[in-house]
Amino acid sequence: MSRLPPSPVLSRRAMLRLGAGAGAGLALGPLTAACAGPTGAPGPGTISLGLNRSLVSLDNKLNQFDAAVTVQRAVRQALTSIGTDLKPRLVLADRFELTRPTEWTVRLRQGVRYSDGTPVTVEDVATALTMYQQVNGSYIMGLFPEVPTVEKIDDRTFKLHTKVPVATLDYLMANILITPAAANRPQELSSGVGTGPYLVTAADGGSGEYSLAANRAYWGPRPRVERVRVRFVPEEAGRVVAIRSGELDVIDSISPDSAEQLAGLPGVRIERIAGTRINQLFYNFRKPRGHPLADARVREALTYAIDGKALADDVMTGSVEQAEGVVPPALQGAVKVGRYVHDPARARRMLDALGVRDLPITIIWESGEFPADTSVMEAVVEMLRDVGVRPSLRQFEPGGDILQWRQGRRGDWDVLGNGFGNQTGLALTSLQGMFGGTPEKERTRDTYQGYVFPEIAAKLAEASSETDPHKRDRILADAQKAIWATWPCLWAFVPKAVLARRVRVRDLALAPTNSYDLASVRLEG
Amino acid sequence: MSIAAEGAPGAGARPEPRPSAVTPRLMAKATATRRRRAARLKLWIGSACTLVVVVPIVLAGVLPLPGPNEQDLSKRRLPPLTDGHLFGTDQLGRDLLSRVLHGGQVSLSIGLLAVLVSGIIGIVAGAAAGYYGRWVDTVVSRLLEAQLSLPLLMMLLLVVALFGPSVTVITCVIAVAQWPEVARLTRSLVLVEREKPYVAAAQVLGLRKFAILIRHIIPNIVRQATLVVLLLLAQAVLLESALSYLGAGPQRPFATWGRIISDGQDYITTSWWLVTLPGLVIALLVIGVNLVGDGLRDRTRRRTRTEADR
Repeated sequence: MSRLPPSPVLSRRAMLRLGAGAGAGLALGPLTAACAGPTGAPGPGTISLGLNRSLVSLDNKLNQFDAAVTVQRAVRQALTSIGTDLKPRLVLADRFELTRPTEWTVRLRQGVRYSDGTPVTVEDVATALTMYQQVNGSYIMGLFPEVPTVEKIDDRTFKLHTKVPVATLDYLMANILITPAAANRPQELSSGVGTGPYLVTAADGGSGEYSLAANRAYWGPRPRVERVRVRFVPEEAGRVVAIRSGELDVIDSISPDSAEQLAGLPGVRIERIAGTRINQLFYNFRKPRGHPLADARVREALTYAIDGKALADDVMTGSVEQAEGVVPPALQGAVKVGRYVHDPARARRMLDALGVRDLPITIIWESGEFPADTSVMEAVVEMLRDVGVRPSLRQFEPGGDILQWRQGRRGDWDVLGNGFGNQTGLALTSLQGMFGGTPEKERTRDTYQGYVFPEIAAKLAEASSETDPHKRDRILADAQKAIWATWPCLWAFVPKAVLARRVRVRDLALAPTNSYDLASVRLEG
Repeated sequence: MSIAAEGAPGAGARPEPRPSAVTPRLMAKATATRRRRAARLKLWIGSACTLVVVVPIVLAGVLPLPGPNEQDLSKRRLPPLTDGHLFGTDQLGRDLLSRVLHGGQVSLSIGLLAVLVSGIIGIVAGAAAGYYGRWVDTVVSRLLEAQLSLPLLMMLLLVVALFGPSVTVITCVIAVAQWPEVARLTRSLVLVEREKPYVAAAQVLGLRKFAILIRHIIPNIVRQATLVVLLLLAQAVLLESALSYLGAGPQRPFATWGRIISDGQDYITTSWWLVTLPGLVIALLVIGVNLVGDGLRDRTRRRTRTEADR
């Protein structure tokens, strides 16, 4: 077949090709330009927050992970709040006083209104307390030794009564968010009105995305940032890239390695503060009698297998401290009652002496429970293997059924990787939440991994009803010693609260509770 | 042509070269020649890439390497070629090369088992559909159409979430996910084969349908079907890595390629080798297997055509 010589003039085919190319260029040009430039930057007047866990609601009846507190308190407020000094300060109340051992007198602040303009009433407070009680498995209710009842005195004043003294009620009430009585339900509220400096303009609990706008009817000083965008970015690498590119302004709960990556970057600053959270490898206390882990000596022996110093210094690059007690030392009333010692030979000796060989241990945890969680777990597995234990890991993804497992309803496990936050600044709250389990609570699986020691629960109840702070601290110290002697954890550590922010975000005061007041934050540029 | 020349009268005399404008140079440039050369090149490059990855993986147990889970927390994230670590170390001071090779054993085992199972299912179902036709064909065809219409990764994640992420479950899931491609091809090959005279002859001789299918038809199509299965191996390895990357792989501390990359991405800006080197290994294997498959397919296609011409 002979080939035709190429035509010197512009052929019809060449014209068509040229036309198609030009058309494609016109169509795809803007797209390419968009890809080349920065995407999704929040813009002036809008702050963009990237959370490590999905904010399923703007309420805290069921869950209250650290990062959620900042956003929840920006929309809904409580009678009090915990300041950066871990002391209670008044918010919706202008008076909160212990008038008798079992009675607190509270007065609502004059002129406090919801975002729809309606005033906050005593009925709203009473309803809120009722709703929190009606929720099954509420984290918040676990902190209360006893839920107070409300007695109305006048439109603004009421009394909170308890059967036994609850000396820390002003701290505890910082966790009860107030919503109009008619709109409150015994469930987590994802939208609706609150008294906070921001109101919700768009909410998607499924994807964990929220848009907030400044509340023009806010009773306090007007917030300095007009709009807030809240996003759930589960992958740490994704959050790091997003803050580097300016797509996010603030990311919280970052791992030590990410903090190290971000530390030297222009335009990004790292905030650190000693935290009130404790992360633990907590034993399963629902083991039947006769199981090796039901024996405190076995639990103690296993702790010697863990090289906590290497984990804290190398894996977490010094951003955490090994626990020297059962609660973080920053909490009021916390005492140092023991240390985790690395001595694998001793662990082997003790296990041999107790006749424990080839002990199978299943460690469970949810991804993202604490920074560098998978690295810690894999390191712990090797350490346990070195002392003749047969460990295995079971990792749950967020949204999975780990809660069922924790309650012993789905499967057996031996050690749980878990974190316990504290939003009151009181050691008593953490102790009550973790170690105040009773046989009654265990019947509904409302104890902390089955930890039921009635004598310890009694001590904590005594401390909680003690109005003299010195006496209370003494009782608490005794209780902490008794708890340590039960060896509840394979290992525990106290992380620093770490947050990264773009430099344009100013006046962000990170509290030890790993949250901050969104209304006081301002943007530059 | 040569037969005609040999059979012609006066075959002893050397025939005069036929006048032709087709020079050896033109022959070398011809599409057919280029294709043949490309197929050979594909085979060589593909085999080299595959062997570079597969041989060390198979020998991982005997190579002088630290264990894949042997950690030294004081030697975290050492760069490649440091302290005797060819690929460097990971975030727990484990030898990355050892983890990649042992992870490769898991990924390859899952891939091989999955393609073996999917190959058997696909060939059996496709052959039955193609040969028996009627309701068997309807059932198999609708099943594979239904499966092809589902988003693959989504389906895999769902099944793993339901049954738990074990090696067995992941193997079965990938196998079941891949059978439609083999079945579709087998069915079309069998449809062609069953019309051929040798099948009619076997029927006349009184062989039962099942025996004809097993003894005559399947042996004739199995080579082409196997090539598709080989191409699916690369896809199976990628799927396994994707599942592990998304957190649906075998439980920790099992090293799998997807998980090594997923864990390493947190350090991408400071320790590039944690993601790049395992990624390169996966790419090398997938490209290698695909090239081998392509090369073999081209050769088979040519041979089939040549046989058909005869």
